[in-house]
Amino acid sequence: MNATAFQVFRRFSCKWLPALTLATALTAATAAWAAFGEVIEKPAPEFNRQGDSITATLIPRAKSTRVQIQFSAAGARLLDVEGMDFEKAERPEVDVKNFKSALFVIHLGDLTPGAEAKVSLTSDFFISSTQFYVFNETLPQPWVISDAANLSLPERVQELVVTVKDGGPLDSDGKADGRITLVGGPRDSFWGYALGTLFIRFFGIFIVLCLLMLGMIISGFVFQWLARRKAAGVDKTTAAGAPRIEEENVLPAAGNRMDPAAAAAVAAALHLHLAGSQTSPILDLSGSPQGSWALHGRAQMMAERMLVFNRKNR
Amino acid sequence: MSWAYVFELIQNIMITQTGIPNLAIKEVFMIGVAFFFLYLAVAKKYEPLLLVPIGFGIFLVNFPLVPLMGFSEHGNPELIRAFYKYGIEWEIIPCVIFLGLGAMTDFGPLIANPKTLIIGAGAQLGVFITYIGVLFFGFTLKEAASVGIIGGADGPTTIYLTAKLAPHLLGANALAAYSYMAMVPLIQPPIMRLMTTPAQRLIKMRQLRPVSDREKLLFPLIAAILIILLIPAVAPLMGMFMFGNFMRECGVVKRLSDTAQNALMNIVTIFLGLSVGATMQADKFLSWKPLLIFSFGLMDFVVCTFGGILTVHIMNLFLKEKINPLIGSAGVSAVPMSARVSHSEGLKADPDNWLIMHAMGPNLAGVIGSASAAGMFIAMFQ
Repeated sequence: MNATAFQVFRRFSCKWLPALTLATALTAATAAWAAFGEVIEKPAPEFNRQGDSITATLIPRAKSTRVQIQFSAAGARLLDVEGMDFEKAERPEVDVKNFKSALFVIHLGDLTPGAEAKVSLTSDFFISSTQFYVFNETLPQPWVISDAANLSLPERVQELVVTVKDGGPLDSDGKADGRITLVGGPRDSFWGYALGTLFIRFFGIFIVLCLLMLGMIISGFVFQWLARRKAAGVDKTTAAGAPRIEEENVLPAAGNRMDPAAAAAVAAALHLHLAGSQTSPILDLSGSPQGSWALHGRAQMMAERMLVFNRKNR
Repeated sequence: MSWAYVFELIQNIMITQTGIPNLAIKEVFMIGVAFFFLYLAVAKKYEPLLLVPIGFGIFLVNFPLVPLMGFSEHGNPELIRAFYKYGIEWEIIPCVIFLGLGAMTDFGPLIANPKTLIIGAGAQLGVFITYIGVLFFGFTLKEAASVGIIGGADGPTTIYLTAKLAPHLLGANALAAYSYMAMVPLIQPPIMRLMTTPAQRLIKMRQLRPVSDREKLLFPLIAAILIILLIPAVAPLMGMFMFGNFMRECGVVKRLSDTAQNALMNIVTIFLGLSVGATMQADKFLSWKPLLIFSFGLMDFVVCTFGGILTVHIMNLFLKEKINPLIGSAGVSAVPMSARVSHSEGLKADPDNWLIMHAMGPNLAGVIGSASAAGMFIAMFQ
């Protein structure tokens, strides 16, 4: 029995222990990390009252610039709006990452006890799928999706309109006392945003570079055409001053030009032949064309060409 | 004055004004890390121009009570903090480095074969895969983007983006980016061999057409117009890059171009290295974070190499004149190391196959691609 247990343990430890250790380490690291990043990105709204409305200015999670959310109320007076730490409302069923612009505590007053009021949150930071989640600790399920209407206004501004009944399930004070406390915040799907933006931006790079490629291909054609035209102009000028050449002596037409590699080989052969006739033989081509001196020479040439790309500081 | 008073005075001086009693184990460890980087730079010659100032920056700031990275009583930044604040926090140094890089770059191979731009885009695959991968490990979106860009293998871009989005990760990200850039010859070849068949490695590519000076002159203007119109957020980096290249190609400001390539580049490299190294203080750096970043950075680099080669394979399905897939790995913007690796792997397969100039195309495209990816991320968080 003991031996069997030992065998099982050995198999387990060999196969799974390293993986388990790694997983534990990563999980621990992840937990520590998550707390670290979130603290840095925690939104800190600043409120400013202008007449009947209150404007919150904050840097939301995953943003570098400030956004504004305007709060107003209909059917009641907007008394105050304040920010709330998510830790107080943290429950397993919600993820702070989905609440990019923090939680708010909205206080309404001066309404008939038991009556309904409408709270509006207006911002160009919201999108058409933004929802408003309400947190009410007194309920068995504290987090509730409000039936907030999401209205599109001009200039890409969205308005969330939440209807709250005094003493109703969305009212955190739970009493029909002519005052409403609404705790909640706008919610967007973190993963939907992350994945959506991943695809859009990855293919965005393809689009940008493809457009650049097209631009370069077109400009390349233009420049090559200009170069050909210029060359043809030079040819014509030369031809005008030159004696007429018999048809059989004319070089092949542009379309039938020799392969550049072959042309280079012919040129090299001619050069070597002429150089050889002037001085003592300097090159022996009888050996392998991939002899060490040839490869060394090519390496030297390429190294010289590479100098321009040698970014020493990168 | 009694002896007791004198001893107390000495004790106070020792404790409050000298570093010895304040030296902690973690600081000694970080000084060891600094020595390791200095060793890599000096003895192994791994990116010495960056690792020497980075290593020395780590070395200096990990002594206790040193007035280097803090603020004075009057709120003024101390020496290296000033370099960091005005150079990196204000996002000046990465852009100046891009100016120098632009002045150093010959876009000829890319202009001669613009198709290679697609490879530069494909090689950004790792950036986005890593971006999603690290989100599963609890990173915030901004942190994920700054870690993802490591795979683009572009040091200044990594520093620029990280300083903008997640400055607390600057040290780890910069070090990971430069370390993996130095390790390109070790990381890429196995992936290249895995992703290609011997027959594919033998593909010979047609010699690139000559590019006229006028084309080279117009390229930075055309590229700047298109890229900045499409991704305005990348204007600081790309604008400086193309400005540097325009100075090089116009030929009438040779002195400015030389300064941008040499003196200016060297000056900002010193301040950049010291500032990046100085962010690695023991109390901030010694945690799981750098380890995670280094692991994800490696994965990122591998996926980027994979993405570049895969892109060539996909392109070859549609092209008459096939591209040697070995140049796909050069789509990361480690210029010119990854192009050299493509070339040397090509030579191993066929000693007569010279891929270097063909590989420079995707390599330069990688610079534009990684800067574009950074621009995309910056725009995302605006």
